[in-house]
Amino acid sequence: MNDEHDHDHDHDHEHEHEHDHDHDHDGGAGRRMPRRDPRAPRGRVLDAHLHLLDRQVLDREGVPVTTVDDLELDGIEPGARIEPGSPPPTLTAILTGPQLLTRLFGGHAPAARRIAIPWKLVSAVGTTVRLGVDADSLDASWVERWVSRHLIGRIPGGRHDPE
Amino acid sequence: MILSDLLGSDAFDADGRRLGAILDVRLEISGAPAQLLAETVVTGVLVSSHSRFSTWGYERRGEDGPFLIAWLQRWLHRGSFLVAWDDVELVDVGRVVFRAGYEQLDPMLPRAPREA
Repeated sequence: MNDEHDHDHDHDHEHEHEHDHDHDHDGGAGRRMPRRDPRAPRGRVLDAHLHLLDRQVLDREGVPVTTVDDLELDGIEPGARIEPGSPPPTLTAILTGPQLLTRLFGGHAPAARRIAIPWKLVSAVGTTVRLGVDADSLDASWVERWVSRHLIGRIPGGRHDPE
Repeated sequence: MILSDLLGSDAFDADGRRLGAILDVRLEISGAPAQLLAETVVTGVLVSSHSRFSTWGYERRGEDGPFLIAWLQRWLHRGSFLVAWDDVELVDVGRVVFRAGYEQLDPMLPRAPREA
């Protein structure tokens, strides 16, 4: 009896599937169960907000540089129609600096105030974002360098490791 | 364009019906090979019809603990879906419009490899 019930259930499910298939061509609106993405991913899949925003950025040696406050996407023209088949936008930079405040409270920081770390310097994405370069070579760490040279460096003993 | 311009934007279908808010942008590290990682391209946008707040990934990974938080998150984001970038017709300030006949896809993420 139980088996029969299961069988019935399977059958229903199949029908549901066929039904789904029939409606594949008339758009997604009103669909109840979304279909799985038919394209097999060709690389690591990330959700920008979930996997990147607010993550720590570490340099080649594991030294913290900054956090991911925002991301720059290239290839989106606001207000312009996207032609079918045009190449997808690409991620070009990690933004930091005043971006966090404007992200939370709205508005835009002037482009000149944005500190960008080119995405091509990223070597790995995991719990943190790893860069393939030293922090000292980046604009993002200039504040720290300035403070260490002009303030910390003037304190007696400030120019060497604690003994 | 910066990511935060897209997040929270209203999503509309071709007939001008509001579908929800853009919750996240799906990326894939699969473009042309570059120096360290391959180029990272946008493959779709996630839309939630009930909430414009972040989801901590519950509805996208099949995580189920702690139960109460997982349940609340799933309930807040019931009916969220993914739309492939090919089905996006227009992006404007605070507004994203999908093409006629766009498809709503399952937002579930493939399981990520654990970092060593």
